[in-house]
Amino acid sequence: MKRMGRLLFKGMRLLLTVAALGWSEWASAQNVPPEQTAFFENHIRPLFVEHCFDCHSQKEQKGGLRLDDLSEILAGGDTGPALVANKPKESLLLQAVKYEGLEMPPDGKLSEKEISYLEQWIAMGAPWPNAKNSPAKRTPQSSITDEDRAWWAFQPLKHPDVPEITVTDRALHSSWVENSIDHFVFDKMRSQGLEPAPEADRLSLLRRVTFDLIGLPPTQQEAEAFLADDSEKAFERVVDRLLDSPHYGERWARHWLDLVRYADSDGYRIDHYRPNAWQYRDYVIRSLNSDKPYDRFVQEQIAGDELFPEDTDARIATGFLRHWIYEYNSRDARGQWDTILNDITDTTGDVFMGLGFQCAKCHDHKFDPILQKDYYRLRAFFAAILPEDQAIAAEEEKLSYAKKLQEWETATESIRQQIAAIEEPYRTKAADQAIGRFPPDTEAFARKVVAERNGFEKQIAYLIERQVDFEYSRLDDLIKGEDKEKRLALKKQLLSFDHLKPQGLPTAMVVRDVGLDVPETYFPKRKDIVVQPGFLTLFDEKDTAIEPLPDRMSSGRRATLAKWLSSKDNPLVPRVMVNRVWQYHFGRGLAANASDVGRLGGVPSHPELLDWLANFFLDNGWSLKKLHRLILLSATYRQSSSHPNLAENQRKDPLNHYYWRSDVRRLDAEQIRDSLLASCGLLKDRVDTADSTPRDARETFVRGGGEGVMGDVGKRSIYVRVMRNARDSLLDAFDLPLFFSSESTRNTTTTPVQSLLLINSPQLMQFANALAKRIDSKTQQANMERKIDELWREVYGRSPTPDEFNYANQFLIQQQSIIEKNVDTAIADEVAQSKIPYRDGLAITIKPNDASSRMRIDHDERLKTADFTVEAFVQLRSIYDTGAVRTIVSKWSGSGSKAGWGFGVTGKGSRRKPQTLVMQMHGEKLDGSFGEAAIFSDQNVNLNTPYYVGAAVKLAKDTPGSITFYLKDLSNDDEPLQSVTVEHQIRGGLENKDPFTIGGRGGDEVGLFDGLIDDVRYSRGVLVAGDALLTSETVLESTLGFWKFEPQPGVMEDSGPNQFKASLAKPKQEILEPRYAAFRDLCHALLNSNEFLYVH
Amino acid sequence: MHVEIPKSRREFLCRSGGGFGALALASLVHQTSSAVDTRTSFHPRAKRVIFLFMEGGPSHIDLFDPKPLINQLAGQSLPESFGDVITSMGESRSPILPCQRKWKQHGDGGIWISDWLPHLTRHADDIAVIRSCWADGINHSAGVCQMNTCSILGGRPSLGSWVSYGLGTENNDMPAFVVMQDNRSSVVNGSRNWSAGFMPALYQGIRIQEGNDPIPNLNPPEGVSQEQQISKLAYLSKLNRGFAAQFPNQSELEARIASYELGFRMQAEAPHVIDLVRETAATKRLYGLEMKETADFGKLCLMARRMSESGVRFVQLYHGAGSKWDAHSGIEANHSSLCRQMDWPVAGLLTDLKQRGLLDETLVIWGGEFGRTPMSEQGNGRDHNPTGFTMWMAGGGVRGGQMIGGTDELGLRAVDQRVHIHDLHATILHLLGIDPMSLTYIHKGRPERPTVNEGRFVEKLVT
Repeated sequence: MKRMGRLLFKGMRLLLTVAALGWSEWASAQNVPPEQTAFFENHIRPLFVEHCFDCHSQKEQKGGLRLDDLSEILAGGDTGPALVANKPKESLLLQAVKYEGLEMPPDGKLSEKEISYLEQWIAMGAPWPNAKNSPAKRTPQSSITDEDRAWWAFQPLKHPDVPEITVTDRALHSSWVENSIDHFVFDKMRSQGLEPAPEADRLSLLRRVTFDLIGLPPTQQEAEAFLADDSEKAFERVVDRLLDSPHYGERWARHWLDLVRYADSDGYRIDHYRPNAWQYRDYVIRSLNSDKPYDRFVQEQIAGDELFPEDTDARIATGFLRHWIYEYNSRDARGQWDTILNDITDTTGDVFMGLGFQCAKCHDHKFDPILQKDYYRLRAFFAAILPEDQAIAAEEEKLSYAKKLQEWETATESIRQQIAAIEEPYRTKAADQAIGRFPPDTEAFARKVVAERNGFEKQIAYLIERQVDFEYSRLDDLIKGEDKEKRLALKKQLLSFDHLKPQGLPTAMVVRDVGLDVPETYFPKRKDIVVQPGFLTLFDEKDTAIEPLPDRMSSGRRATLAKWLSSKDNPLVPRVMVNRVWQYHFGRGLAANASDVGRLGGVPSHPELLDWLANFFLDNGWSLKKLHRLILLSATYRQSSSHPNLAENQRKDPLNHYYWRSDVRRLDAEQIRDSLLASCGLLKDRVDTADSTPRDARETFVRGGGEGVMGDVGKRSIYVRVMRNARDSLLDAFDLPLFFSSESTRNTTTTPVQSLLLINSPQLMQFANALAKRIDSKTQQANMERKIDELWREVYGRSPTPDEFNYANQFLIQQQSIIEKNVDTAIADEVAQSKIPYRDGLAITIKPNDASSRMRIDHDERLKTADFTVEAFVQLRSIYDTGAVRTIVSKWSGSGSKAGWGFGVTGKGSRRKPQTLVMQMHGEKLDGSFGEAAIFSDQNVNLNTPYYVGAAVKLAKDTPGSITFYLKDLSNDDEPLQSVTVEHQIRGGLENKDPFTIGGRGGDEVGLFDGLIDDVRYSRGVLVAGDALLTSETVLESTLGFWKFEPQPGVMEDSGPNQFKASLAKPKQEILEPRYAAFRDLCHALLNSNEFLYVH
Repeated sequence: MHVEIPKSRREFLCRSGGGFGALALASLVHQTSSAVDTRTSFHPRAKRVIFLFMEGGPSHIDLFDPKPLINQLAGQSLPESFGDVITSMGESRSPILPCQRKWKQHGDGGIWISDWLPHLTRHADDIAVIRSCWADGINHSAGVCQMNTCSILGGRPSLGSWVSYGLGTENNDMPAFVVMQDNRSSVVNGSRNWSAGFMPALYQGIRIQEGNDPIPNLNPPEGVSQEQQISKLAYLSKLNRGFAAQFPNQSELEARIASYELGFRMQAEAPHVIDLVRETAATKRLYGLEMKETADFGKLCLMARRMSESGVRFVQLYHGAGSKWDAHSGIEANHSSLCRQMDWPVAGLLTDLKQRGLLDETLVIWGGEFGRTPMSEQGNGRDHNPTGFTMWMAGGGVRGGQMIGGTDELGLRAVDQRVHIHDLHATILHLLGIDPMSLTYIHKGRPERPTVNEGRFVEKLVT
């Protein structure tokens, strides 16, 4: 029970117990006056029975507390004595029932009367007939027992001798024993009567080690080169080549990023994108590639700013302390900050020490010698941190930036001042409202002058100010009327100076300290107990001496922790890391639970080997690459997954505990996606380090992502944005972690969801198609035999056996004849599809440089209407630099002299406002002339954010017409559907014979959309908000066309009454030749096969 | 009962390819009947759950928990005696918003239900109304997360996953844990609400939709005929068997072959389960399928019954997906409409379960992630209130016709017999025969439990 949890650590208990013994003026047990007895029996005992005994009596002692006996009450529970006779105010029991700190009983407060009885009773001296009035004697408990201390993981590293191999064994297994690892493994294996497996065949070995080190399959050339290299050093050369490959860091960073719960988004409902998180990700990749010593790697992440202030990378490394989830609208800033510090503490314990500190958050760890105090001692190291987004450029770069910025600022000073003057009252109001939403105590922190805030107030104010910034990001929507017009005009002027404006400096999410004024760390709900930083009591009972860094205005706390963690005397850190490396190579650690080397984690299968490796690691300067090399070159690693005495060995050691063979392992999520991309020729090689998405002030508040971010297509999985609440469905199906807390092991499941996705999803068909085309183009006019061979080598890295070849051929013949029968279905228009975050189902992808990705619906008289409404769900990736419009839907050629309309989003050079909805209409005006009306909504459309958009057009008659624009940010439930109505002069004459076009315009090839469009609905008349597609996703009486782009009933199908089938604007007319379609199916089958999905 | 899964068994479960069904953990270890509570001699009767999640937070003080004082204090600030309140939108001192409902007591138990739920009243004696619920999350994200996982922080398995892990399914061709929602907006936090957290994905909820493709990718992609796909699957199986032959005793490889076969069987089973064609007109009427307002949620309720019948262990229906119940402003219009959509079908579901004799074994749970404040927001709405709100349960051994616990005089905080979400989850598990302290999953070497080691069975529900 958390609420009466073990709030005091055992060390304190001793002290308090001594105090408890000091009372003298007790009511004697034998001598309770009758009126007190009556009071007790009438009011107190029944109260205890009814409200307390369920949890605090003989049958159960939550929090270690019993209330069914006075001596037990006096002895108290984990929080110390529950009662101080005669002193109600000092009695925990009374505090608890008054809900002061503790809240007892948890299911409802006692009545005032009951509380006052208890108070009186304690004031009387707690008379309890026939009870002993001295605290019950508890078995004296030293906080940490000798047995605790003896646990293997806490022992200093041992220096075990490498076991000898007998001459006979050496002769028998001459090719097997390669290095010291093998001596240890062989020794154990033999003790169990097991024999090692022979070395794996070359191809298996190459595939295994390549996936293992770089996460990709070997290329055909690599396979051929290795098979041709018959020198003894061939495998060694492969290992060295892979360790030198830049892809090594990309693969192994994945393991580390799992551990530190890295993601590119906040993780709560709005799940804002973190535009700079990738700096940390790339730091990890760089560090691994450069084989940064692990001790330094640890130091940088905990305290890079304190220890290596001049080193840019070391500062980026403190991003480790920024991956916590963040709730953009929590008004409980204290609670949120508490959660953040706990999260950092939990993660640090898991990642570096391999200990489950979080168990000790509420009570002393039940199995390991981690006291509750130790939790807060560890947390206290982080007590001073303040998150910051910091420019991380080199000095000269910063100077040159500042100089250019100065020029721009001078040139634009007057404009900016005018804008600021307009914005000022809105900003003030927005800030005031945002701050005012917090409870008065924390609100006051934010209202204080910065200089007057103490350390803790700075931290809380930081959280509050983030909410103010969020309000500022919506200024565009807040400013109305004349101010809006003026500001728009000024902003346009400002844009014309953009050529002077330097590009922003690269920025990283880091931390620094609030200063030397370190906020205190308390026990939860016990403001009277301040905890100082300290290591595990097990290692050192004393508080740790901290040397503050006044020059850097930093507390020095994290530097102290970092040094302790990376000290050679720390037995946990090297063991834990070596064990992790082993686990990632073999699928399980020498100690089975890599993030828990405590009692729950169990004892290692090969403790001597683990220590020997840890020593090796230390002796080799904490080099990970040397450790990899040693492990990979061992015979243990190189064993085959088959074994001549399989059945017998399996009986003796079914789980392969003793490494008598290699395991067959499924690829993990990223390996599957990356090898799909690689085999199909779709993998972009090393991509841009920096994220290519445009960035402006609003970018911080961008949401969405996942599959919706098209920049991610073809990128290696490690570079795909990790949006915590919008997960890639392929990665998700193959056990991608959630990235909410540290993960040391991936689950490996086999589910029908995976099979259905691989065999039925359009995405995999597209992969298959790409693969088929690739093989086709590689082999040109060659015969089928050659194509099959090429396919096998591309996917499996080997040629097919004669049987496999025959089966493949038979399959092709059969498949071809099936396809010929169903020739209609073999026509494949390749529509690029993806998912809009916060929406079910699939959307179509429009690419700005590919006019053929537009969709058209041929003109039909039934599409004709006067007033109309057009709606869709969209996610926009970019806007034009010019004034051109990203068209969502149109019925218009695009020519200014032709009739028609187009609905889209304005570009940077817009005559009114960039990034807003616009309806362009060319038709008859009220005065009878033919002309244009461009109507702007002035609502701001953010990039990479999922929206519902709509425009309801009412034509002018005698009076002006109107357009009502609808806009709803799907990622933010707190934001209502916005609607804006704007007047216009067009009375009709919009008709034409152009196609109804989605994602562009009918005639020209400019004005294309860039991003995702889903569920386009075209309706007769002016739809009101209540009928909007947002809430009413159905065919209404007014519906003329409704395209959902779902595989069922069909991507191109119209769900509306008229069945207007869509087609690609420039159909590729790729009627799949049955022979080719059959080959594509063969490719598809191979991509589904176990040989593709497993290494062995 | 203390269930600890040795590594090998866990591996076995993960890799068994046991399909959606997942293997019933309890039956692997031993029967769950040992969870019989000796104090109440309570015998678990619930075999499955239908959780009706009103997303966004319905107003308990306008539906089940009448507070005359609200109307007396209408327009005034919250009295000082109520202390500080942290509200999501910071309007904790705005005037108290009167309740415009008409209230009556219903059934033998005299359950208070407002005129917003006229049809539910006929089941007043089937439902046990818990009026003293409380939770920790002030905002939707944390609230919905906690109502599903017991924790306001993401990453833990959802209740349905624990049930699926603990009990498995009764139908191996169907998922043990199914989620449906009334529209295509995403539920707050998206699919992680029904994720298995750190447990294997085997136990996650599967989103099922209406139509021909109820489960994502259930059917071949466009342009690929069924015959073509069957032939491809046959060839794939041959490829995989050839590969597996080289690695005898690698059960995982066999499991993957089986998972394709299962996927194929599901193509037949899943549409059948959600196919409402064969339901009678009377049944359809019972669920409100013929009325525009109730048709959407009615279909889900009817599908939920069909799934329960077919052995799905945990069905979760989201009504108002995308926080539609979140009436920060205009609560009258908002709740009127949402109640109309939901009231008839939910009443119909209870009636149908009862007449088919299923209610006794099926635990129906109704509620949102929190309730709403007595204070107004934006003049005519109410803010989030996690400190006191109402949920109800019916069936599965619950004694209906009773009200449990209570809030203070304004409905702001639960004060009497408070029931935290931990207690709610512990109670749901208990009703299913699972002792939440005994059901453990070892994650990172540590035993994890469904209610984060907290929570007590609300015995009053069954006594």
